[in-house]
Amino acid sequence: MSLLEIRGLSVEFPAGENAVKAVSNVSFEVEEGETFGLIGESGSGKSVIGLALLRLLPESAVISGEVIFQGQNLFSLKPSELRNIRGKKISLMPQNPAGALNPVLKNGLQIEEVFEERRVDKKEGMKRSLKLMKKLFLTDPEKLCTLYPHQLSGGMRQRLIACMSLSFEPELLIADEPTKGLDPEAKAGAVDLFTKIKKEYGKTMLLITHDLDLALEVCDRIAVMYAGEIVELNEASKVLNTPVHPYTKGLISAQPRNGLVPLRGQSPSRIKLPEGCFFNERCRCSGIECSKKHPEIKKHKGGWVRCHFQSLQ
Amino acid sequence: MKYLIKRAGFMAFTVFAVCALTFFLMNVIPGGTAELILKHTLIGLEESATEEQLSQISSRYNLDDPLYLQFYWWVKEAVLRGDIGTSYIYNKPVLYLLTLRLPATVQLAGASMAIATLAGVSLGIYSALQENRISDHILRIVTLFGVSMPGFWIALILIIIFSLKLKLVQVSGYGNLENLILPAAALSLHSVAAVMRVTRTSMLETLGQEYIRFAKAKGLPVWKIISRHALKNAMLPVVTVIGFQMGNLLGGAVVIEKIFAWPGIGSLLVDSISARDLPMVQGCVLAIVTMFLLVNFIVDILYTHLDPRIRYG
Repeated sequence: MSLLEIRGLSVEFPAGENAVKAVSNVSFEVEEGETFGLIGESGSGKSVIGLALLRLLPESAVISGEVIFQGQNLFSLKPSELRNIRGKKISLMPQNPAGALNPVLKNGLQIEEVFEERRVDKKEGMKRSLKLMKKLFLTDPEKLCTLYPHQLSGGMRQRLIACMSLSFEPELLIADEPTKGLDPEAKAGAVDLFTKIKKEYGKTMLLITHDLDLALEVCDRIAVMYAGEIVELNEASKVLNTPVHPYTKGLISAQPRNGLVPLRGQSPSRIKLPEGCFFNERCRCSGIECSKKHPEIKKHKGGWVRCHFQSLQ
Repeated sequence: MKYLIKRAGFMAFTVFAVCALTFFLMNVIPGGTAELILKHTLIGLEESATEEQLSQISSRYNLDDPLYLQFYWWVKEAVLRGDIGTSYIYNKPVLYLLTLRLPATVQLAGASMAIATLAGVSLGIYSALQENRISDHILRIVTLFGVSMPGFWIALILIIIFSLKLKLVQVSGYGNLENLILPAAALSLHSVAAVMRVTRTSMLETLGQEYIRFAKAKGLPVWKIISRHALKNAMLPVVTVIGFQMGNLLGGAVVIEKIFAWPGIGSLLVDSISARDLPMVQGCVLAIVTMFLLVNFIVDILYTHLDPRIRYG
């Protein structure tokens, strides 16, 4: 049995009379010990999936589908049961480390509170955290604890957040865009950080990112998202080296190192999604069928692809 | 330290400017000061006032000198000897009269401020947590009423309901807690509403921050998220408004004290203005301005304790 199973997850945000479909009918499984990557452009719905798993979306969000974690459906848990899973069994590494740390509380307290309400000794826990901080390239952790977040650099904040998320040795770590807004040097640091986390803990990880380098470096399998649905899912090296879906191909050739060829057009309005393939209007190889019928996701060469012409690609 | 000196300098300048303004404005009011003083001393014999008596009084209080000289002497005495003049009417030092009246005003303004802070902040938090539910809407309508109704009108209504109809408390009086209830309620209503509205807005904004979501992801219970993560951040604008409300309270106290015959500086000020007792008016204004400046100074110091990012230099 997989550690995490997502079945038909859809998320909508009501906007006046309409609803914005952020995620539509997403299903995938994450095996124990695996690093699973969710990639796609901004607004493709990848972060929403991460937040939906821990039920951290605003109350107004309409969520349907099932998320099975260790045999439990996360969507039918009571608040107290959910709290026992949050931060302990599944922890979230939020995007934007600057915003995720409370500016008016000392770093030490913000680490310490991970161990609150957990029936564990706080001091014991802090010792573990301090050790972990050293491992994650943070020098002089005791001093860091007496400082406030604004006194740290961006890279340090991110490692501090990583430390908070890992302190409890969660079974599943959801890392939401860990390299967003970091400069190239800190980005390289983040790649090191994640390789290290993966090697040392061997924990299951759901990595949400638009950084293809990071994804290739760390992920075992990758799902590519477009307009709220998965368009391609396969082993990381296959997706990024021999992409099948036209969108994945476009995404890869838009990388600076591959010539910075932009994808034409814009992703469709999520209030009124097109009838056919969501990618139809931007696709270089679309046919008549593509504008009429929404393609189902189908098996193809060991992976999954959502395209009418997958055998031709 | 450097900041404190700078700040004290600004406060001294503000006090000076307000005193100058009061002094010259009081002299713009038509009617000779000497005549009024004479009338107060010769009650019943007003008609018998002679030119001689008038000039006697004028020379005693230097009323024949040009205004700027009168003001210069007043400032000189105040700064060098701490003597801010002698009341024309009571024939006693202004400072002494102020110390008699100050406790009553401090009591009333302090009680109102405490009510405004406690009720305003807790109702604001409650309203924010109940956002867009029925209790939130009711509270918001009530506060709209609160900020729109003038304090003196509220005072009269309170007297009619609680003193005259229900006969629960006396209309006026001074000395015990029971007497304080109506004036403090009437005076604070406006501030309660203002503080509540700011608390609600600020709390809602804070609750939408990323660090709140991260705190949830850590598995903290709601009350800890509110009390530890949200409250301190949300309090910054609230503290500012409470500081400003002090001005409203002191200003409102002038009228409210008169209505409830409360023996504070406010009613003294009203009496002194109608008697054209210039030194006394000057003294009352000085006391009120000083109180207002002190409270706002305390507020600024509070900032640094609430938000470690704020430093004065």
